[in-house]
Amino acid sequence: MQLKYIMNRKKELLKAPRMAVEIAGVRFKNPVLTASGTFGYGLEFANLMDLNSIGGIVVKGLSMKPIKGNPPPRIYETASGMLNAIGWQNIGATEFVTAKLPGLRNYETKVIVNIVGFELNDYLEVARFLNDCPGIAALELNISCPNVEKGGFHFNKNPKDTYKVTAAAKKACRKLPLWVKLSPNVTDIREFARACEDAGADAVSVINTLVGMAVDVEKRQPRLRFLTGGLSGPAIKPIALRMVWEACQAVKIPVIGVGGIARTEDALEFLIAGARAVQVGTANFYRPDASQRIALGLQEYCRSHNIEDINELVGSLHAYE
Amino acid sequence: MLDRKVKIKSVRDLGSNNYLLTLNAAEQARLIRPGQFFMLKCVEEVDENPLLRRPFTVFNICRHARSGRPAGLELLIKDVGTGTRKLVRMKPGQIIHCLGPQGNGFKVSAEMKNRVEMACLVAGGVGIAPLYMLAQDLMRQNIKPVLFYGGAGASDLVLREYFEKLGMDTNYTTMDGSFGERGLVTEPLARFLHKRAHRNIRVYACGPWGMMQAVHKLSERGKLQCDVSLEARMGCSLGACLGCVVRIKDPHGEDRYLRVCQEGPVFDSRLIDWETEPV
Repeated sequence: MQLKYIMNRKKELLKAPRMAVEIAGVRFKNPVLTASGTFGYGLEFANLMDLNSIGGIVVKGLSMKPIKGNPPPRIYETASGMLNAIGWQNIGATEFVTAKLPGLRNYETKVIVNIVGFELNDYLEVARFLNDCPGIAALELNISCPNVEKGGFHFNKNPKDTYKVTAAAKKACRKLPLWVKLSPNVTDIREFARACEDAGADAVSVINTLVGMAVDVEKRQPRLRFLTGGLSGPAIKPIALRMVWEACQAVKIPVIGVGGIARTEDALEFLIAGARAVQVGTANFYRPDASQRIALGLQEYCRSHNIEDINELVGSLHAYE
Repeated sequence: MLDRKVKIKSVRDLGSNNYLLTLNAAEQARLIRPGQFFMLKCVEEVDENPLLRRPFTVFNICRHARSGRPAGLELLIKDVGTGTRKLVRMKPGQIIHCLGPQGNGFKVSAEMKNRVEMACLVAGGVGIAPLYMLAQDLMRQNIKPVLFYGGAGASDLVLREYFEKLGMDTNYTTMDGSFGERGLVTEPLARFLHKRAHRNIRVYACGPWGMMQAVHKLSERGKLQCDVSLEARMGCSLGACLGCVVRIKDPHGEDRYLRVCQEGPVFDSRLIDWETEPV
């Protein structure tokens, strides 16, 4: 009886689909990551899920020095989503490396650091600093945050600026792969993806939040003190999916799908549309173990559909004849 | 802090859009300290709107009749929007996601009784929620709690009988004069503090921003420590989203923001920048 169980278990393990994906030479045990700004520095979630169950953690955007962020109110819930205007509040790269990174190194999950900056040099300074820190798998250049007065999104307004900041950042972090997180608040995301590829980016994350707004009709005031905010959550998923697909048509470097992914099926849609990996964002807020569930769900899907390697799914979309 | 699916035991209508929600959450009830809160999903399905959970401080722990062990949580919910409306319309037996206990609650320690004789508990409307467990804790330390409870009308002064049963001195105010003294809750508080200027009194407040600000000013004047329990829109309650911050006045440096979910929800009122309301 026991032997039979062991044999079956062995068969099952042999049959287990291969879930690992590779982005710029870095191997992720599965294609599920958490999106920057929605998962803190990772350790906040350690009691609520198994951090080892996911491929990677993209930590909250970091600058060299701490940033205090925007005055509240900073968030507001909308239909199937939320608006935020946090304004890059973070503890600073030095504090991250001394207080958070050692804890994260205890996990076998890859750590990607999102970096922010008001000026070109801000990005370069933090990129150079993190380049030498062990335990970081890649950097994600955040040029798409809509919630700061300068910097951020301003490098994502025309492809030339995107090229410039990407090329400079790539020089500053020679040891680490550089991902660039792109804004959906543009006419044609393909141009920006191409600019990143041409400038030497190793991957693009598509998309950051869409600029939105909400009004309190009693006070006749904006719901956010910053006036506008970034819309995230399931509401933006169809837009994110379309933009991921477009980016995949435009560039050869890996595209990482982000935007409204809350369930396994959402992640599958992005992979089929061409994303090499996905990031779970707002769902972490209302289901802290969402990313773990999706990682498991993908494995189940592969098993039940006789897919040996998750990479078979990537870009497998059939258009109508 | 635990994330559990818990069963709704009852939803009691208290009038004026206030409800007392009882959850069968024994495991989490054992962990709770006064002033801490839980994040509740307002619908059964996780992927349904509203997506974000809502924070509620615990009013009381219900206990097994015989053993006295914690059996569940009682939370005071005011129906103020889409989320809370769905929550109070849930039926006994339904299951919701419940995350907590979370946050830093009221600090009542044994050594406090050497310094503090009396505590003023000041509530505006549903701000009464965290004060019942606090009152019990204070009494256990032989610190005498006095309640100041204000609302728009008599029907807003919900659950006051709980405090009366503890044998506490109570002061009620209503704006329409339908119960207790007419006017703001800070008026009887100001008289009370004025009469006992030399006494060692601690102040605790929870309610609308303006009320807490006024209580803070009265406490400052009397050189009394005042702890306030703040409300904020929260995304995650885990310290990750940074959505629920309150502005902190730093006399030595630059102003900064602290998270109501992690560093709060209870703060020393002197820390708060009262000019910047978070909600």
